[in-house]
Amino acid sequence: MLGLAIVALAAGCAPGVAAQASDARSPAVVRASRRAYDGAPPVIPHAPLGPDCTACHDETGVVLPELGFSPPSPHERTQGLSAASRCVQCHVYRETDGEFVASSFVGLRQDLRRGTRQHTWAPPVRPHGRFLRENCAACHTGPAAREEIRTTHPERVRCEQCHAAVEARGTFRR
Amino acid sequence: MDRRELLRNLSIATAGVAAFSCRDRAEAERLAADGALARGEGNPDVTWDKAPCRYCGTGCGVLVGVQDGKVVAAQGDPASPVNRGLLCVKGYHLPGFLYGEDRLLYPQRRGADGTLQRISWDEALDLIAEKFGDALRDHGPESVAVYGSGQWTVFDGYAALKWVKGGMRSNNLDPNARLCMASAVVGFMTQFGSDEPMGCYEDFEAGDDFVLWGNNMAEMHPVLFSRILEHKRQNPGVRIVDIATRQTPTTDYADLFVPVKPNGDLALANGILHVLVRDGMVDRSFVEENCVLRRGIEDLDAIGFGVGGEAGERYGFKDEPRESSWDELVEFLADYTPERVAELAGVPARQVEVLAELYGARDRGTVSLWCMGVNQHVRGTWMNNLITDLHLVTGKIGRPGNNPFSLTGQPSACGTAREVGTLAHRLPADLAVTVPEHRARAEEIWGLEPGTIDPKPGYHAVDMFRALSRGDVKAMWIQTTNPWVSMPNLARFERKPGDGSFVVVSDIYPTPTTDVADLVLPAAAWVEREGMFGNSERRTQHWNKMVEPPGEAREDAWQIVEVARRMGMGHLFPWEGDWHEAMYEEYRTFGLGIGKDLASYQELKETPGKLWPVVDGVETRYRYAAGYDPYVKKSKGVHFYKAKSYGERAAIWLRPWHPPAEVPDAEFPMWLSTGRILEHWHTGSMTRRVKELHQAAPEAYVELNRADAAELGIKDGDRVRVASRRGSIELPARVDGRGKPARGSVFVPFFDEHHLVNELTLDAMDNLSKEPDYKKAAVRVEPVGGKS
Ligand code: SF4
Repeated sequence: MLGLAIVALAAGCAPGVAAQASDARSPAVVRASRRAYDGAPPVIPHAPLGPDCTACHDETGVVLPELGFSPPSPHERTQGLSAASRCVQCHVYRETDGEFVASSFVGLRQDLRRGTRQHTWAPPVRPHGRFLRENCAACHTGPAAREEIRTTHPERVRCEQCHAAVEARGTFRR
Repeated sequence: MDRRELLRNLSIATAGVAAFSCRDRAEAERLAADGALARGEGNPDVTWDKAPCRYCGTGCGVLVGVQDGKVVAAQGDPASPVNRGLLCVKGYHLPGFLYGEDRLLYPQRRGADGTLQRISWDEALDLIAEKFGDALRDHGPESVAVYGSGQWTVFDGYAALKWVKGGMRSNNLDPNARLCMASAVVGFMTQFGSDEPMGCYEDFEAGDDFVLWGNNMAEMHPVLFSRILEHKRQNPGVRIVDIATRQTPTTDYADLFVPVKPNGDLALANGILHVLVRDGMVDRSFVEENCVLRRGIEDLDAIGFGVGGEAGERYGFKDEPRESSWDELVEFLADYTPERVAELAGVPARQVEVLAELYGARDRGTVSLWCMGVNQHVRGTWMNNLITDLHLVTGKIGRPGNNPFSLTGQPSACGTAREVGTLAHRLPADLAVTVPEHRARAEEIWGLEPGTIDPKPGYHAVDMFRALSRGDVKAMWIQTTNPWVSMPNLARFERKPGDGSFVVVSDIYPTPTTDVADLVLPAAAWVEREGMFGNSERRTQHWNKMVEPPGEAREDAWQIVEVARRMGMGHLFPWEGDWHEAMYEEYRTFGLGIGKDLASYQELKETPGKLWPVVDGVETRYRYAAGYDPYVKKSKGVHFYKAKSYGERAAIWLRPWHPPAEVPDAEFPMWLSTGRILEHWHTGSMTRRVKELHQAAPEAYVELNRADAAELGIKDGDRVRVASRRGSIELPARVDGRGKPARGSVFVPFFDEHHLVNELTLDAMDNLSKEPDYKKAAVRVEPVGGKS
């Protein structure tokens, strides 16, 4: 199944993937274009390749010759999700670029300000929620990671040991 | 401790990880302690609050993110025991449905030129009061009608019920839930004297075998299906059985696919009972202690289907139950040998035996699940009865992992339609207008004169629209539903505004239903108002108003209360200011002390919902079960205490196979079935306005079997015409898409108002529940040339 699909892609039948390869937009803009809001499950940017998504989107990601890199699944430790789950329960393909009715919905934008550091040597705080994305490495390591968020130390696996979440603004007051 | 903190602690302590394996529970607890599962963590500029999902009856808990007065994000609520943080694609994209550019913003009345003109709320409310008042005065209570919804909040439904039954003294109140779960209601009522399932979603981690009767759970109840898949992953011995007329995404995960002909399910269930009895795989002592046997009218001609002749105008068939016995059951079942079932149902005889072994295995928990395939069925109540019979004869009921479990399609089909009782024959908490003591109880709670409530049931949904077409209903109010897309045999109900009757529609977007309305009112949606829904597992869930509705949109309950006050019925709604709590607490008194106890308003505000009956703040996970249900005084086993007329026992019903109302012939040689798909919910009026969902599924299609398509010269994507005796539509063909119909049958989803499959369906009904059968009509399919 996958073999057939790759042949089809190589023949130019998968506009999603082709567009991905030549997209001049910044990675952050491409990322946003695939999500209704920051935290929404991204739509699938390529043509259907069969039901077994985790064959390519595994824990580390897979290099597919001539196609690029399929990023890892961030759901490594998500309760209730596994390779046995139905990914299309949440992630859907795009069959059209049109809209039924225009919408004024503006989703929550990703906070592109970098996580702040208390001082030069302090680890930056984590500026986003981790919800359903327990596998930090999915976005912060490997060829699919945007340069500005790529970690310099992928070998240290327990990220939250150093990178604290931001749960509230302001400072402590008695 | 603030409310959010309290919620978080509660969720961690009581709900969050209840049914995971030990390994996963430890991991979940660690993550929870880390704050990884904290509510809405991540962006301090966004405020988060809980609400149940707006769409299906699963009732997933959603954390709704609000920024600058707009809903900007959604997350699955980790504190909700329903979904524990997961949603499906519709749930994740909930925020978008509020912001379609064509939201209805102010009341509009149709002018003489046929266009809608803006009017004020005062003018609109006065007009409704005048039209309903005129109809009552000139034609009596039979001439007014309210058609409501399983998407109504508890408040909306209760306000409508009180106004229609206690104010206008009419029983012409029925919800669209009549079209989706009425057969389950009558099923539960006829067997247990009380509606709704005995189990809860924890059955999905406690059972061993999950038997899906005509139920594409992977698309219709995705989050519940993902719970079963996870349970199966952790326990490879778990089995999923898919009994269906069509292969669906659910089939991909099934251990056993059982192909069944339309209406063949009746024969199959009887065949399984036959083998269970034949091979002694029944629990006779359970039956003797806890069950009675009943039998009703079985003559096909006497029953009919609610189409043609007098029954085609007003279908009022009533059963005449009589006592039966185990011996009579054995004799009755003698006809349903596996070989005969193979003929009637198309199920291989060996599979009938396998299913019987599965239901009969004492060491394995069995959960039966069903939804529209069983309910939208000309003998839907019978099928409900038969599935429950399988559990009663084997004693597999009222225990974790052993239950018949009917799922609902709408978010408050249970909470509003069934529990509030917004049906033509009902009052709250299983009370019925036909029973004098029940009417008296309602009149007492409502402070009304004895004899106010009419003892005669009103029109059920299909008859209500037939009466409107005839001109017998003069004033009708439709809220939160889209019948000119969803009613069967739509051509029958064609309407031109200004035809002499008066139709008001409250909704959030223009639809084919607002297109034919005389007055259109803008409704506040979901978290734009306070609300409560009740899901499939008896969980009542409350949410707060989080954002302002757009324009002049107002909640449905407010619209009803204001009209009632203008009609001189303000005494029904005596509360000043914000009446939500007072209204709910009054409603709640109906169920207290009779096994239908709902949690208090405050409890619901502070928790991710509770499963009724809730006694002393404790919810009931398993009804009728010793050790779980506070109404059961026995130390073990079950007690069907609500079934008073059966001596507090459950009824096993003898129900035969009957053919469908219409079968394919030379002119219309194929079966048509209809339904939903994952991305779109019901008639698509909300989900189609969400870009991601529309782009994933922009248009309806007709699914064909590959062999049929080849024979007809149709390829995937070709435009085809599908015609029935009632109409025809053109749409693209799908071959080997997500669903694969059996040879000789096709499937069309109903979300697309531009391809109205209900132009083709038949308005035949279940004899007892009066729920239409959307799954069986005879059609012809032909290519028309061109690609989509
Ligand atoms: S549509 Fe149903 S399964 Fe999907 S998120 Fe909403 S309640 Fe859950």
